Amino acid sequence: MITAGCDVGSLTSKAVIIRDGRIIGSAILRSSSRPEASAQTVMGQALEQAKISQDAIEYCVGTGYGRDKIAFVNESRSEIACHARGAVWLAPATKTIIDIGGQDCKAIRLDKDGRVEKFLTNDKCAAGTGRFLEVMAKLLGVTVDDLGKMSKKSREPVTLASTCTVWAQADVIQYVNSGIPLEDVGAGVNNAMAGRVATLANAVHAQREVAMTGGVAKNPGVVKALEKLIGHKVTIIRKADPQLAGAIGAAVLASDTMAGRA
Amino acid sequence: MNPIFKEAAAHVDNQVIRDWKARGKKVIGHTCSHVPEEIITAAGMMPYRLRGIESETTSIGDTYFGPFICSCPKAILQKAGEGAYKFLDGAVMVQSCDSMRRLDECWRAANEDYPGILPGFWHYLGVPHKAVDYSLKWFSQEIELFKTHIEEHFGVEITEEKLLEAVALYNETRDLLKELDEIRAMEETPLSGQEAMDIVLAGTALPKQVYNPLLKETLAELKTRKTHHGGKKRILLGGSVVDDPSLISVIEGEGAVVVADTVCFGSRSFEGLVPEDSPIMLTIAGRYLHHQFCPRMFGYYKDRMGLILQKIKQANVDGVILQNIRFCDLHGSENGLFERELESMGIPVIRLEREYGAMADEGRLRMRIGAFLESVSVGNIEKPAA
Repeated sequence: MITAGCDVGSLTSKAVIIRDGRIIGSAILRSSSRPEASAQTVMGQALEQAKISQDAIEYCVGTGYGRDKIAFVNESRSEIACHARGAVWLAPATKTIIDIGGQDCKAIRLDKDGRVEKFLTNDKCAAGTGRFLEVMAKLLGVTVDDLGKMSKKSREPVTLASTCTVWAQADVIQYVNSGIPLEDVGAGVNNAMAGRVATLANAVHAQREVAMTGGVAKNPGVVKALEKLIGHKVTIIRKADPQLAGAIGAAVLASDTMAGRA
Repeated sequence: MNPIFKEAAAHVDNQVIRDWKARGKKVIGHTCSHVPEEIITAAGMMPYRLRGIESETTSIGDTYFGPFICSCPKAILQKAGEGAYKFLDGAVMVQSCDSMRRLDECWRAANEDYPGILPGFWHYLGVPHKAVDYSLKWFSQEIELFKTHIEEHFGVEITEEKLLEAVALYNETRDLLKELDEIRAMEETPLSGQEAMDIVLAGTALPKQVYNPLLKETLAELKTRKTHHGGKKRILLGGSVVDDPSLISVIEGEGAVVVADTVCFGSRSFEGLVPEDSPIMLTIAGRYLHHQFCPRMFGYYKDRMGLILQKIKQANVDGVILQNIRFCDLHGSENGLFERELESMGIPVIRLEREYGAMADEGRLRMRIGAFLESVSVGNIEKPAA
């Protein structure tokens, strides 16, 4: 059985193709201003990797902000459902999921059967989202990947007075200009991010195992700080790129639907 | 359904108001369900509940209000500043909550920069936050002052007889709207929550003398209408003011039907009749003071929780959406209590914060509401004993 998931997010679009419980193709690219075009391109790349044609896909689930614009999906589901299913597929013991995407972050608590029991998302602002890290990395003149590694090197992380992306920029510029080591500022950025997300996680009463999905899960600085703040170890997903979790969940939900029909 | 309902619900001004004004009759705006509209009607005028709908910006509102204020009064001031409320002959301000109370000063201040936006009759009505014997006495005096102010300003006489007539008219409206609630709650509900909201909103922007007969016709029509909403997830909408149908249309666009509500402008507004006894001024005061459905009234949390449970049972609700406009301390904190209590009973709940106005943050709300509805199943709640 071959199924697919396509997650058209605000910053990146992701596609995953699954054959009999194994990922055979995946792709991540920057979303364009047209969700339908982003979906086509990213799915095209995943198909190429899987060496199959679109017709071979038996069922496809779409998710993300652009989900209603994707022409080739059979069904669209919310990001919450997809990230929850994706995280459980990647790490079956998961009870809480923290997902940090490009422009939103969510905390999802599951019941004993892996169903969504409670979820919270951030408010309409870039604080606590991938976008926050991108803006700060640019300001520090490093890549987002390097920003993640800065916490480990930092001895005295700075404190950012605000998690507002705009105000925090002013703080960061001031720290950099006053000669504070970049890694201390970078660590401060990661801590601020973790603090913001921890609020959501604590509000849904995060329970073990806590898994993190979304692109920011690749940032060890944020993950370490978050573990400290929520008092739980955070499972880092290694089976696949955590940024793909939503698309994986969509593909797995598609497989669930097919299995239910069989 | 009569097309005037949709027009009156969707726009600040409507044809009936224009006709009313063309006959030289007066319109008095107000901001709160605690304003005894019977007094205005008994003076031969039309009460009108102020809304900030159709605002595309709050640039005027933001100038006078602080940043941490509910966007509802800001949007009302925006409309006033743009001249949309020039048809008003008077307005009544109430300290419903801190944000709404500020509308009094802000509107008057804005009038200095936008001359002519302040109606000729301007009244501040004090409404106590507690319903006890001494506050009833005070509130009765406030209503007396309000009555005298109208009489003196407009040169009219509000007699006991006219008040009794007005009370009977309003009680009829309340009875009819309760009937609408019962129709919505039916297993085979014949109307969407959006339609129900249109009907209720129209009542706040039409004279009751015009509204009641049209409402009767609509109810008769609904009783023979076939359902279009069978099998959908049945939602109760609670929380702060909902005065345009767009939020409900997002919920219903995700495949649910709103079968009950406890929101201001919605079902909350017509709970409770005025007893038709004398002294009529005191009984009117009693009804509006004991109108405890807004969290501005202290000491009635259990009654408000009881109303939600009663409606969940009556309308066979599958899930509850509690929303409040940002910076609404009253609804914000009470929604948190409701959420905890409802969840402990196994009732699915989502709590949303939003901005006032036609879908100021639609994408975000659609995402959350969609995800919530996915996790709600039809007919799964063990109905609470209310």
